[in-house]
Amino acid sequence: MGFHIVKRDNCPLWKKCCLYLGAVVLALLLGAVLLISLGVDPIAYYTRMFTMGTVGNKIAYKVWINYLKELVPLALVSVALSLAFKMRFWNIGGEGQFILGAISAAFVAFKAGGVLPNGVTLLLMCLAAMITAGLYGLFVAALKVKFGTNETLMTLMLNYVALYILVFLGEAKADWNFFLDAESARPVFASFAKIVSFPGIPMGGKFTLNICVILTVLIGILVYVYLRFTKHGYEISVVGDSAGTAHYAGMKVNRIVLRTVFLSAALIGLAAAFKVGTAGILSTAITDDVGWTGIIVAWLSQLNTAVIFAVSALICVLHYGSTVAAATFAQVDSSFANMLQGVILFLVLAADFYTRFKIVSDKKGGN
Amino acid sequence: MKKIIAMLLALAMAFGLVACGGAEAPAATEAPAADAPAAEAPAAADFKVGAVYINSKNDTAGYTFAHHNGITTAMKELGLDPATQLVIVDEVPEDKEQVLSAIDTLVGEGANIIFGISFGYIDAMEEAAAEYTDVIFSHGTGYKSNETNFNNYFGRAYQARYLAGIAAGMKSLEMGNNNIGYVAAYGTEYAETASGINGFALGVQAVNPNATVFVKNLGAWADEVNESAFAVELIDSFGCGVISQHCDSAQPQIAAENAGVFGCGYNSDMTPDAPKAHLTAAIWNWNVYYRTAMEAAMNCGTADKFVETMGTPAYYGGLAEGFVDVSPLSENCAAGTAEAIEAVKALIISGEWDVFSGTKLEIAADGTVTKVDAPLVDNAGNEIVAAGGASVEDGVITGTMNYFVAGVQEA
Amino acid sequence: MAQQYAIELKGITKTFGSVVANNGINLNVKPGEILALLGENGSGKTTLMNMLSGIYKPDSGSIYVDGKEVSITSPEDSKRLGIGMVHQHFKLVDVFSAADNIWMGREKTGLLLKKDRYAEIEEMARKFGFEIDPRKKVYNMAVSEKQTLEIIKVLYYGAKIIILDEPTAVLTVQEIQKLFGVLRRMKEEGHSIIIITHKLNEVMEISDRVAILRKGEYITTVNTSETNEQELTEWMVGRKVDLNIPRVFMEKTRPLLEVRDVTIRSDEGAVAIDGVNFYIRGGEILGVAGIAGCGQKELCEAIAGLRPIEKGQMIHKGENIVGLSPKTILEKGISMSFIPEDRLGMGLAPSLSITDNMILKKYSDCKGPFVDRKTGRKDAEDVIRELEVVTPSADTPVRRLSGGNVQKVLLGREIKADPNVIITAYPVRGLDINSSYAIYNILNKQKESGVGILFVGEDLDVMMALCDKIMVLCHGKIMGVVHAHKTTKEELGLMMTGALDLIYKYEDKPAGIAKDTRFGEQEEEA
Repeated sequence: MGFHIVKRDNCPLWKKCCLYLGAVVLALLLGAVLLISLGVDPIAYYTRMFTMGTVGNKIAYKVWINYLKELVPLALVSVALSLAFKMRFWNIGGEGQFILGAISAAFVAFKAGGVLPNGVTLLLMCLAAMITAGLYGLFVAALKVKFGTNETLMTLMLNYVALYILVFLGEAKADWNFFLDAESARPVFASFAKIVSFPGIPMGGKFTLNICVILTVLIGILVYVYLRFTKHGYEISVVGDSAGTAHYAGMKVNRIVLRTVFLSAALIGLAAAFKVGTAGILSTAITDDVGWTGIIVAWLSQLNTAVIFAVSALICVLHYGSTVAAATFAQVDSSFANMLQGVILFLVLAADFYTRFKIVSDKKGGN
Repeated sequence: MKKIIAMLLALAMAFGLVACGGAEAPAATEAPAADAPAAEAPAAADFKVGAVYINSKNDTAGYTFAHHNGITTAMKELGLDPATQLVIVDEVPEDKEQVLSAIDTLVGEGANIIFGISFGYIDAMEEAAAEYTDVIFSHGTGYKSNETNFNNYFGRAYQARYLAGIAAGMKSLEMGNNNIGYVAAYGTEYAETASGINGFALGVQAVNPNATVFVKNLGAWADEVNESAFAVELIDSFGCGVISQHCDSAQPQIAAENAGVFGCGYNSDMTPDAPKAHLTAAIWNWNVYYRTAMEAAMNCGTADKFVETMGTPAYYGGLAEGFVDVSPLSENCAAGTAEAIEAVKALIISGEWDVFSGTKLEIAADGTVTKVDAPLVDNAGNEIVAAGGASVEDGVITGTMNYFVAGVQEA
Repeated sequence: MAQQYAIELKGITKTFGSVVANNGINLNVKPGEILALLGENGSGKTTLMNMLSGIYKPDSGSIYVDGKEVSITSPEDSKRLGIGMVHQHFKLVDVFSAADNIWMGREKTGLLLKKDRYAEIEEMARKFGFEIDPRKKVYNMAVSEKQTLEIIKVLYYGAKIIILDEPTAVLTVQEIQKLFGVLRRMKEEGHSIIIITHKLNEVMEISDRVAILRKGEYITTVNTSETNEQELTEWMVGRKVDLNIPRVFMEKTRPLLEVRDVTIRSDEGAVAIDGVNFYIRGGEILGVAGIAGCGQKELCEAIAGLRPIEKGQMIHKGENIVGLSPKTILEKGISMSFIPEDRLGMGLAPSLSITDNMILKKYSDCKGPFVDRKTGRKDAEDVIRELEVVTPSADTPVRRLSGGNVQKVLLGREIKADPNVIITAYPVRGLDINSSYAIYNILNKQKESGVGILFVGEDLDVMMALCDKIMVLCHGKIMGVVHAHKTTKEELGLMMTGALDLIYKYEDKPAGIAKDTRFGEQEEEA
């Protein structure tokens, strides 16, 4: 008795939704078994997780502010990655591009903050981050175009180059290193939060909506339009689908690759500028793994910009919620929360497989 | 593991008593009634403790474990239930946004006092303290504070190191080997490591003035592979007979055991890890501080009186408070070690003498201690404290002690 | 049982998802006979044979070898039962020698490669009447050599039943004759042979019996001597088909496109097209024949401006187009459609909709940053209607269409651009008979409207019927241009292998030579 895998032609939407939902439920059930074995009431745990601890929280508005702070970089990075992925350019260098963007934004903040008007400084921070990150991505694209190098490997390795630049800046106590706090004897990143940061818009009560949230949604819409309706977007889909065809249609494939990768990386840089501009400080954990998580989000969303926002919102609920839930249950630590997230993502990806293929068992073989 | 906890508990009990008699220790019974109505003070049953950890709260060894153990021990001593009254966000990297988010979670959970255990939380703790004036913030290993609800805490580990140094010095005399190794997370980059190395080296020299302490710098707070490799290198290439350490794991002690030499551990009693090699370890009794801080928090009325109740914005406990100590001496220690350590400990606890002063101790083989005025000199020959001068200030030890004393050599 | 079959299939069914590839197929082969398995593309021939060679497992049905029911679950089982298959795409390791390719599949080879394997395999090959250099590396072999090697391999493993999947597709006329000789000899030695093909003339020539499949269904098996091509076609297609391609004779205009002394290099840097001269006139179809990979692709790409030209000129309506961008060349009315082996690699973006594929070449014509999909949709609907493309809608991704419809979309778009020169390569590749004829009609209509067509083809019969003239390439050189209605397949075959070079022998020119052969000389005289 064996089985084989058969490609599905077209999976109806309701079936897809059922599969994804089923995957999440299955993951939660698996988690529940583990939770019970740890002596934790799974219903209480999951309630806390999905409400992100907002119920009975005297500073619930903070939850939403923090939640959005997590969501903005993730959504923006995923959108940015989808640009490159659409072209089948596997940019897994989101981490590195984010880090370089963050360093450049911080650089501008330290040098121009307080000297120039805040609005100008913020604009310059965004521009600097976009250009630096964009060039970092462009470098890989240029190597690919020129020498046919593998972009997956290159972007991956450059992540670590960027990370160690940041670690170096964070540890090198020296007169030139204005990134560090001069007052601290021990090397620690200096904060510029008091000098310049992205403003929030009061929304009644204590909740303020950071301007980055609005900008991110706007960029999302722009990218959607860009991919869907413009000539550039059309070129990206053709190049992604078949480079031979693009070449045949008279497209300048190399130029399109360079342009798109630059744009993808630049938007990741912008996400970094938003992050740094809100946090007001660098850190070696500045990326919060968005470069990696963004890949999963983009993939799960099948590169659909609108879906990217929905998926990143859900993943942030999962991420933020599990941290909150883990805080109140002594037996459960963040590693468990991460594991549960991993199980959910894994099963959703498995469900994704089932939307594309199905497994058929062999009824009667030759025996 | 249980043994260690039991032992720490016993130690905590013992030094809890000492702490009560200590000069700086807050008088727990005096504070509450003084300026706040009793009703406003959170009753023990409502009192919630929050903590932000750098690693998992389920760790079974290492830095986070030591703090978690301290907090839960202190809570049990005070009749608080860690299962319901302790909220923790763990595995929080030193990223301001993420720390602030963790603190928001803890405040949302109703924590009355929030401990942050990692140095890099410093800016986030400061900002949160300014925002949430009704919550107490207490930052381990940091240097920032305010006058109301934000303090920092650290300890005179160098005092315990000095005692461990005596045990190492005694052993080196017995072995006739003047080379002593030290596997350190960092060297002079951090005052925390430098002061520990210096304290240890001075302890060694009090017994064996001819000894040299060779330091190998890991460049990381935890790196098990190199912790072992560097210890082996110190033993093989530098001929060290005793290996001390400032790193999380017991690897250097295990390496010493395998090579048939001796060692001084750190953070916890490492005798079970290396029964034939381990002499004694410089240890932290974090529960001593956590108990003091929680008592103050429960009794100070409103959060803004916390620092006032603690008496100082920078808690800096030492042997006197029982905050630091050496683990029980193992059978591997040379004869006379116990007597010498007891004598020096008494000198330090009484406040009569401290390590980084212009007076050095000379300890004879039989354990008798003699005070001699002599300048404190770094290993480049610069005089730090003139002969007969008072010990350097706490701020130097926690912040600017970025040099090694004479007798320390980078390997 | 009166008749002992070498192999017998009963009620074999195989499905792929919702597609039924084989439905209750019955088939038998007698010892020492050649059975032709006839059917259009997608009729399930290869699937059926893959079940015999252990690549697929049937969903239901039984297989009997020498009268005994067997279970074939892996290629090893198949090998043990004496069934050997020569696949359409050879399964050879390029960097290995001939001997090693055979050797590596042996069951008990031991750890060491022994020197005597060369001798052994050469000896064995000679026994079967093959000549092969056992030390020759596969990458140095010609296509026919590789095929021979595959056959030797199968024989070496002791196969009694040999399956050949479209063995003639890659061979020249002369090579086909050689292959058929081999097959006949094997038959005499008692081997059973199943030959998969869709070429009727070959079926008539080589087979003893013909089994016909249509759309996964078994139709019938007949004795070859008792049938004819027309009848076979009707079984294969399911209805009457007119096999004649009408040739329209047009008033020829001046040359639209002249190629003068052009040399082009391949991707690897080798000379792919070597000093070629020819022209295309309006209202004619110029066929290009040649063994696969002798420069057709490079020539097409160079004309479309996609590949640089090393030297030479290309004159379009009196203007040299060498060095112009693909876009400019397109705007001048030269359109190129190249159907590669994987069909979708060039010319179409498979994941995009028909509409999006319609605008591929003119998306940048409109003003502003946005793509104009309105005209694309209109074009798509026109093409769907005019060329009878079967599709749910104009928004369906091209990859979901069947091969014939994909090619209609591609040609439809080219025609929509209103070109004056159409370069088309392998436009009927992989198509069934009906679709192929639809494509021929489209091309003929274009020809009637005065368009010059360069038709790179594979099937000589088709080219002789459809084209006005046929140019034969061999290793990048033109062997000659002949009138399609005057030449013979044998002549073309000789030219394709380079045995007959009309360019340098035009003095004593054989029948059918066209004037174009002397094109280069005429230029010099002028």
